[in-house]
Amino acid sequence: LLYHGAMNHFEQVAAINAALARGDTLFCLPGDAGLTPCSPREKGARPLFYPRIGIYAGSGTSHSWLWYADLFDRMGFYDLAFFDESAVEKRGLTDLDVLVVSGGDTFAVAEGLGPAGASSLRVFVGRGGLYIGSCAGAYLPMSSSKNPLHLFNCVNVKVKNLSRVLPEAVRMSHKFYSAYGCDFIFHPVREEVTVRTRGIPPFQGSKKLLAPLYGGPSMWAGENAEVLAHYEGFTNKTVFLVDRSLAEEILLGSAAVVRQGMGAGYFYLFGPHFEHPHFPEANKRIAETILWHTGKGSRPSEKGLEILEGKISAGFVRDLKRELSNSRIVAAGMEMMPLRWKIGDKLYEPEKIRVFLDAMWKRIEKLEKRDRIVAQGAQVSQAVRDGVATTGILRRIKGEIEEGHETLSTATELFVHLRKFSSTFLEIYFKTLAEGRT
Amino acid sequence: MEYLSTGKILIVDLETREVTEEELADDLVAGRIGGAGITKHLYEQHEERDPVVLGTGLLTGTLYPGSALGVVTAKSPVTGNLSHSPFTLDAAVELKYAGFDYVVIKGVSEKPAFLWIHDGIADISDAADVWGKDVWETTNAWRKTLGDDLIQTLLIGPAGESGSDFAQICVNYWASGDRFGLGKRFGQKRLKGIGLRGMGLFEIADAEGFVDRCLELLTQLKSGAASGKKGIGEIYAALGMPEVRDWLNSLVHRHSACFNTPFATNTYVYLDEDPKRLTEPETDDPGFKITELFGLLGLKKIGLSAEAACRLLKACARYGIDGAAVAELSEKADLKESGEIERSFASLTGSVTLPGKGIFSPWCPVGPIFSDFGLSRDASETEAWWERRQAVAYIFGIHPLFAVMSPELTEESMLEAVRLGTEMEIGRETLDGVIADLAG
Repeated sequence: LLYHGAMNHFEQVAAINAALARGDTLFCLPGDAGLTPCSPREKGARPLFYPRIGIYAGSGTSHSWLWYADLFDRMGFYDLAFFDESAVEKRGLTDLDVLVVSGGDTFAVAEGLGPAGASSLRVFVGRGGLYIGSCAGAYLPMSSSKNPLHLFNCVNVKVKNLSRVLPEAVRMSHKFYSAYGCDFIFHPVREEVTVRTRGIPPFQGSKKLLAPLYGGPSMWAGENAEVLAHYEGFTNKTVFLVDRSLAEEILLGSAAVVRQGMGAGYFYLFGPHFEHPHFPEANKRIAETILWHTGKGSRPSEKGLEILEGKISAGFVRDLKRELSNSRIVAAGMEMMPLRWKIGDKLYEPEKIRVFLDAMWKRIEKLEKRDRIVAQGAQVSQAVRDGVATTGILRRIKGEIEEGHETLSTATELFVHLRKFSSTFLEIYFKTLAEGRT
Repeated sequence: MEYLSTGKILIVDLETREVTEEELADDLVAGRIGGAGITKHLYEQHEERDPVVLGTGLLTGTLYPGSALGVVTAKSPVTGNLSHSPFTLDAAVELKYAGFDYVVIKGVSEKPAFLWIHDGIADISDAADVWGKDVWETTNAWRKTLGDDLIQTLLIGPAGESGSDFAQICVNYWASGDRFGLGKRFGQKRLKGIGLRGMGLFEIADAEGFVDRCLELLTQLKSGAASGKKGIGEIYAALGMPEVRDWLNSLVHRHSACFNTPFATNTYVYLDEDPKRLTEPETDDPGFKITELFGLLGLKKIGLSAEAACRLLKACARYGIDGAAVAELSEKADLKESGEIERSFASLTGSVTLPGKGIFSPWCPVGPIFSDFGLSRDASETEAWWERRQAVAYIFGIHPLFAVMSPELTEESMLEAVRLGTEMEIGRETLDGVIADLAG
């Protein structure tokens, strides 16, 4: 009754989430077409619960966590919280069902989270939480002796694309590798690859899927780690960064998705970005993983929520829109400049700035149509301050470029602000959507 | 209004600093079509506050050839009548992409003001820091402050601030087609200028049909009389003055067109570097973009060299004063040296010749260019044709100069493009009614 034939993956999952958020009781079974709602009397029927999901958007992350925000938006997962390392330390992860960590600089993520973050993560999974890591988020909890990754030794997996001696890059040498102690993690290919599932629920059946690889691992699963999908092949969109035969040797047949339990919870490690918005079948696997593993946790109701209405709400959205527009205008102009910044271990081009800004811009119209905006008390003024600061930094960086000054430190400051601004904005956005649904 | 439009009218009260928006109603478009048809209506609606109204046509910013026109409608200090002046380059397109089809600016600001319109937002801010600065300095300052070199500006220089009847609303750094002194209206309102930038989109009802029709027109234009020609020199030659083209020729560096206009109506001359230079210039401002015909012509008549005339036009643009008026009044005052002409800007008075009925700016020559449009040599027939041709261009948003050189752009093709683009049945009868109303 939840589905009809014309619904796509996103709408199907959104329908389930809408029902769960209303408090409906739903059960499902894994089937060839994915998780399917069923009667509670059916053998193997599993109860579904509406998850509270945390997205890590702190130090070391690039922009790919925004893809998770897109996925959750389209699939109706509105109970979201955005964390940076200080929020992990202050709030802990205990009120979450799921934590997602996407791409970026693994060492910087580990350093940012530190011992306290690592400890919170272990407690979270041990108590039944679900960790989903893609790309850098997949490297993070793997077995490692390297400082500070050794703090996170949670999953018995080794990296196959690791070498003491770098192979020759055939293209994109600037994005081809990152240092890993005395060794190198190298990236044999970028863009689209094919992976095949192995029939282990929630990845029912042997299915071929497409997903993009942007530096994620090719894995060897050790004891207690289950391979849910392996790299199967390449497509005409695959970009080879090393000789094709070496890429085949490193990737094909190796684990692309691995799961390992810890206490009552699970770690899911995705080499490719299953959350990328152009890969709906892969997106669906993420959603099903979340629904499959979310149990009935205790959900403390959020305190200190502020509801803006009428002119105050419209004025707030207008203030955000003003700053987003001001920022986008400067950022768009910078895209024509031959610029690139190396921040930590990652390269950032000016185009990345608009990825953050557009993640907010494309949602402004929805907020404009709402009569009520919901936020944690301090978030309202914080979002506007972040917006003003972002515009200010962008204009400063433009001036520095024109005057021929070094811009790395301002660019570093800019990306920190962009993460903060978009995290606060998205929290407000999702809280508002959730309130609208009720 | 859903198609070929942002659907929004911006109302700016400079006195209260209040900014409001109104929906552009389908009924208004059905009755007045757009461009000058609607700016006049909005002017009359707010007449008691002496407004300046900016507007775009339904075809402005689309793929329809020559879709570069925006219109400023206000009472002219030169004629005393309600007049319409054009703004082109990329400014009109930017207004529409910035989220508004029309802007009504009313009241007088207490302090010098800057209106920044971007992505559906309009902000009024203080312009005291640029009040007194020339057009070039002001555009540079705003672009630097706002962090983008693509921002389009409509602004005044010292001429507008001091209340000269010949003050222009300039576009970025250059002279506009404002021959009605509408820059004085900005100055009276203490509005230094407007910045425009937007990354908006608008919908087309039958996008495929609309684009196909525009491509057909482009194909026809490629075999038209203007095809293969470019630059202001060719316009002079077509008007029977090839000697002006030859006089200017040694300074010409390049030609440039306004948005989606298949004829380059602007010519850039190098004054401080070799015009044959093809690499990046060594100086920031090596020359000047000539965007109007009559100033240069008038200064040639006085006897200035091409270089001296262009330098003087550059000074006019910086000061924000109508170069054609400067040339005509200087000739009457028997001023022959560019230095003394420039020193006379602040005290320039007198009456200037403005062909036409004073409704549409005679920045565009009164007569066809390149093609004869089937007209006889009868002057009154030509003038009547020109008034109607200008009205049509100002209603739909077509570059006025390109409109008088392209018989392929028929009234029927514009109506058809609007029908395809909006699904609204706007016919010739409505168009005739709007033209008659504009003619007063």
